[in-house]
Amino acid sequence: MKIIKNMFDSRRKHFVKGGKLERLYPIFEATETFFFFPAHGTQTGPHVRDNLDLKRFMSFVILALMPPFLFGIYNTGYQCHLASALSTDFISVFLRGIYIVLPLVIVSYGVGFFWEFVFAVVRKHPISEGFLVTGLLFPLTLPPTLPLWQAAVGISFGVVIGKEIFGGTGRNILNPALTGRAFIFFAYPVRMSGEVWTVISGKAVDTFSGATPLALAGLTAASDTVETFLAKSGLTFSKLFLGNYPGTVAGTSSLLCLIGAVILITVGIASCRIIIGGVLGMLVTGFALNLLATQASMPYLSLNPFYHLVMGGFAFGITYMATDPVSAPGMDTAKWIYGFAIGALTVLVRVFNPAYPEGVMLAILFMNIFAPLLDHFEIRLRLKRRIVNVG
Amino acid sequence: MISVTIKKGYDLNIEGKPSSDSEDLPKPEYVAVLPEKIPFIIPRLSAEKGDKVKIGSVLFEDKRHPEVKFLSPGGGEITDMEFGPRRIVKAIVIRLDETESFETFDSISESGLEKIGREELLQILLGRGVWQFIRELPFRDIARHDKIPPAIFVTSDDGEPFQPDPAVYLKGKKELFEFGIRILSKLAKTVHVVGAVRRPATTEELDGLITHTCKGPYPAGDAGVMIYHTKTASSENRSWYICAQDVLTIAQSLKSGVYSVERVMVLAGSASIERKHIRTRAGVPLEHLVRGRVKTGDVRYVVGGIFRGYTAPKESYMGFYETSLTLLPESREPQPFGFLSPGFTKPTYFRTFLSALSRSDLAMDCNLHGDVRACINCGSCAQVCPVDILPQFAFKCVLADEVEEFLEQGLLDCAECGLCTYLCPSKIEVCKILRDAKAKYYKEQG
Repeated sequence: MKIIKNMFDSRRKHFVKGGKLERLYPIFEATETFFFFPAHGTQTGPHVRDNLDLKRFMSFVILALMPPFLFGIYNTGYQCHLASALSTDFISVFLRGIYIVLPLVIVSYGVGFFWEFVFAVVRKHPISEGFLVTGLLFPLTLPPTLPLWQAAVGISFGVVIGKEIFGGTGRNILNPALTGRAFIFFAYPVRMSGEVWTVISGKAVDTFSGATPLALAGLTAASDTVETFLAKSGLTFSKLFLGNYPGTVAGTSSLLCLIGAVILITVGIASCRIIIGGVLGMLVTGFALNLLATQASMPYLSLNPFYHLVMGGFAFGITYMATDPVSAPGMDTAKWIYGFAIGALTVLVRVFNPAYPEGVMLAILFMNIFAPLLDHFEIRLRLKRRIVNVG
Repeated sequence: MISVTIKKGYDLNIEGKPSSDSEDLPKPEYVAVLPEKIPFIIPRLSAEKGDKVKIGSVLFEDKRHPEVKFLSPGGGEITDMEFGPRRIVKAIVIRLDETESFETFDSISESGLEKIGREELLQILLGRGVWQFIRELPFRDIARHDKIPPAIFVTSDDGEPFQPDPAVYLKGKKELFEFGIRILSKLAKTVHVVGAVRRPATTEELDGLITHTCKGPYPAGDAGVMIYHTKTASSENRSWYICAQDVLTIAQSLKSGVYSVERVMVLAGSASIERKHIRTRAGVPLEHLVRGRVKTGDVRYVVGGIFRGYTAPKESYMGFYETSLTLLPESREPQPFGFLSPGFTKPTYFRTFLSALSRSDLAMDCNLHGDVRACINCGSCAQVCPVDILPQFAFKCVLADEVEEFLEQGLLDCAECGLCTYLCPSKIEVCKILRDAKAKYYKEQG
């Protein structure tokens, strides 16, 4: 540790004011604070400060992302080997998963950090830890088969247009990871439509087509129910809940997202109001649509609402995307409404607009835009209760 | 008795609490007044270096209100006048004589007080240098004596770490305190004496005098917090407040006819070796309080409390209002991979460290524990704000210079407790931003 510390200390002079690499100070600072907790003292009262900082805050989100991430690696390899009729023993499947998923993650972090560095240097602000989360969230919401260059374009759009042009972390309106995903969803619909999950896994197998549950649900014939139609394709409720079916990298397993949600709520990083509100919104809307369903209507209308919870990326979205504090509302009641609306909109998009099978992404982005408005109304109501104090 | 319960706020589980023992200190060699540390005043000196002064001689007055006089806390010779940038008066240092002489005033007896009218009493308080103990909300400046306030709050303890225990300085002084309350009653419509539930000994000591009790974590019991939770109309915003120990000083000064300089102070903090109450006098040098009872290493001297106090060099003196000296270790060496540690010994409001499992006292140093980042709207500050401000929105109004909007957000109710800054994970100086905006607004108002 001493060696690393000395290394930083001896190179610091180049990066501080007057040094020849002065402009690259944010990069130096970000690297140094990764290794060492800075020893800055407080300048004004309060003279002591809480131990939590943004790095720790974001590390916990990453920690909570680990269960779906690791499962996602396994599942990707498993689905690939299954399709190529290769051995499905754990080690080889996991290695295959790493082989497919890791390049996506590396591209996402690499390209994303490049933009972060560029903006930090030009705009002279420190590099925020927020990107550690964005950079991991983004690849986890992609189909594993997405070409890497598309992932690079997507994360660039997410970071630059979704975040940096608003002024960087803390000032963005939309969730940057979802903005990037939405971009490739609309720009390259063939790869992202959710209808075909294509594996191009080197020499093992050329292509593999397998419909995701959401796409299947939209294809259900009028005479059938969605549940039985899914079951015919081998997608029972428990399988959907556990997540070992083709889908996005980490969005398939509701169980592991639930574990992530429990971690985040326990340590107090994610708002339980948003998550519970989202689940409620989804169930209530699902039941309401059940009431509307008749013999002649779309079979999707009569789908058991609990299926909505486990299908597609809802669990992942509501746990990790909707709870992003920057793009979510800050007030308590607004959080309930925000979560509820995300759940409700997800169902509505799924049921009434099968062209966009993944409703949760659009629902969250839509509610991101409304978050400041929800906050505004709640703050107005709250301020009315105050006794005016103008001195 | 009205009881107020405050749910928001936070008690630090910090190590270094003082015992309730008290020690009498011998006379110091020097005492000083620090005009710089008295908020808002513009001092106009009436003494200069080399002058001989008595206890109670006028040293300077407030240029804004020349009737507010600041008196000498010692008898001897002014040996130094320290000036800062732009000729700001930092300190007036007095070397004490072997036997100090006093300025004497008429003493006022219990019965004498009844005959004095409000106007006359005001002049007495102003002339004897004790008026400035009474301060006015919401800006916490010296009270404007041309107004009759809706109420005066006498505060004893707001839970800020390491303030003198009221039971120590009130012990056996109930009569004097009662006299002080009678003085204050002549100035305002009502006087509220606030007792803290966390200090049951005070309630016993002041049996029958307490009108309000306050329950809850820091800063429950602070005047600003009390007024926020009890007020029914905007007219009460301009209430006055005074600390219980200063009530004793006023009463003592009037009763004895000499300027009272006795104070009970506290020496505490994890970097001090002996932590206790100290009976001494106003304006003592910090070194005199510490007397070597400090751990080796880099130590920060905090005068006036961990949350609201200021850092002073160890050669400095106690301020006019401050009665607490906290010694804290300065920040340590950088910690390798600090953000990954489980944190059994890292005190926190949040649940991201294992220390959250217990509430035992932990050592704290002056480390910022992170770097300044943009606000991510986590809303933690609003969870602890004792006066229901939404600091995460209010500070942005301030930075955008939206005066109307931050007033509407309740900026002037801000108790300046510093909790928002304490727990901000982005390490933003939220409280400083709000406090400075308040002061700026006050100065603009004139």
